[in-house]
Amino acid sequence: MISCRDLTRRFGDFTAVDGLTLDVAGGAICALLGPNGAGKSTTVKMLTGLLPPSSGRATVAGLDVARESLEIKTRIGVLPEDLGLFDDLTVEEHLLLTGRIYGLSNHETQSRTDQLLRVLSLADGRDTFAGYCSHGMRKKTAFAMALLPNPQVLFLDEPFEAIDPVTGKMMHDLLVTLAARGVTIFLTSHILSVAERIANHFIMIRGGKIVWNSSAEELPRSLEDHYFDLVESPVAEDLEWLGSARS
Amino acid sequence: MARIRAVLGALLLVFRRDSKSFGSVATNNFFLMSVLLLQQAGVFLYLIVGLVMFFPLSTDPLRKIPPSRLALWPLSTRERWLLRVASPWLNPLTWVLAGLAVWAARGKVTLGMWATLAAVFVISFLAPSLPLAPRKGAWHRIPNFPGPLNHLIRKNLRELLSTLDFYCALVLSVTVLAVRLASAKLPSDALLPMTVLVILALSSYAQSLFGLDGDQALTRYRLFPLRGWHMLAAKDAPFLLAALVLTLPLAPLAGMAAALAALAVGHASSVNERREQVRWRFSSGASFGPSMLQVVLLAGAAGTVQTYPIIILAVIAAYIGSTWWYGRALERGLLES
Repeated sequence: MISCRDLTRRFGDFTAVDGLTLDVAGGAICALLGPNGAGKSTTVKMLTGLLPPSSGRATVAGLDVARESLEIKTRIGVLPEDLGLFDDLTVEEHLLLTGRIYGLSNHETQSRTDQLLRVLSLADGRDTFAGYCSHGMRKKTAFAMALLPNPQVLFLDEPFEAIDPVTGKMMHDLLVTLAARGVTIFLTSHILSVAERIANHFIMIRGGKIVWNSSAEELPRSLEDHYFDLVESPVAEDLEWLGSARS
Repeated sequence: MARIRAVLGALLLVFRRDSKSFGSVATNNFFLMSVLLLQQAGVFLYLIVGLVMFFPLSTDPLRKIPPSRLALWPLSTRERWLLRVASPWLNPLTWVLAGLAVWAARGKVTLGMWATLAAVFVISFLAPSLPLAPRKGAWHRIPNFPGPLNHLIRKNLRELLSTLDFYCALVLSVTVLAVRLASAKLPSDALLPMTVLVILALSSYAQSLFGLDGDQALTRYRLFPLRGWHMLAAKDAPFLLAALVLTLPLAPLAGMAAALAALAVGHASSVNERREQVRWRFSSGASFGPSMLQVVLLAGAAGTVQTYPIIILAVIAAYIGSTWWYGRALERGLLES
């Protein structure tokens, strides 16, 4: 469902993503893991048509990302890194706009909007302008926008960050159900425990290069231990001034 | 006192930076033309620009600090009280009002004039702290439009309504309407120049159609399965609606021709050189050349259509061509940025 070969993105002399080659099967939940600046968001941006690759090739749902970007947009749902919300639209207006732009009827759009607002606990804030929403509300709005057109492939950049536990559990269950129905989910996350619970395919990148790519069953030990070994270990340094007597 | 000085110093810095955004008026078509050509009407136009600018300038500098941050700082009650008293004096308008009060006492400024300015200042200063209707209540009342781009058009109308360009044009339009309603006979020769003036006041916005869209909004534009001309049309619709409403008491057909011409020319700078704009300020235009081209063409279109109404078809054709051409450029630009 998602495939890329030697996908590379350079910003001047800096190579953010370096020759990425991967395949994600239909109905999989694939977690792309890595430290800050590893190239996760850049990869998602290239796969969703937000950023053209410097070289290499990628296909999503059988369509070439570079040449068939408009067609791809109708088949994918995206929760972008910056959420992509308009300050001058309310939570509900964002969903109504999305439904109509993706070709749904007024009735279907309203029906799906009401359901999503209810399920994501956004109903009370439906008339709040995005510019006045909390970060969690904004994230849930962007998540609802990704789901509303019923996409074949979902790209979620840090979906669980700033989400309350109840909504997080609900999103987790929803994504598992969606995957069981054949929707492919490609997500990035820094929360390893959540990624371990939800994903069945793990890709770890460091410095723009893949350092691990396997199914969940093939992980030799816990995801966290494996991540610390392969990607990055926590820095152990004592900040002596913290907690000491104040000068 | 060191803490108060530190906070006031930071406030002054932020307030100065914010006030610089009023420099946008220097590249605004309306301001440029009133300086260059309209010397006779200059005082009247400056008065309008001044009044429109006075309201957003009359803000409380202390609001630049997020309330949650202010509450967290270890300031005593006395220090907070001092901050409250001292911070308004960071706003130059406070000094202007104080100076005008002295002049009013000496009879050099009428008391009514001073009271009006003071009232505008106080309302603007206090309004954000008052327990008024829910935030942006009026923004909810923006009408719906037919078609799938309804909410995109409503968003863009809200953006247009949060620029001072619109209110400058509104003051001009309402002034003419008031004159007409007061049954004063307005010479028909005056309608066309006033129409051009109204569109001129709006026209810089047409050069920065995406200026109030932040980076997040651009991400969403990239994700939506929309063609570039859809996005441009959704931007243009509120502009054309505002132009129609504001020129109704004047010469609406000429007004529409001028608005279409302003958009047809403005698409180039809107798409090719996106300039971020600030809410409740005048829109800043592109460089001098494109601005002058826009002014000449919008005035020319208005004048020609006023004499030969059929020419509006040619203006519409030019507008459609521009929307199609720059729509393609917008698609490419969004992908490459």
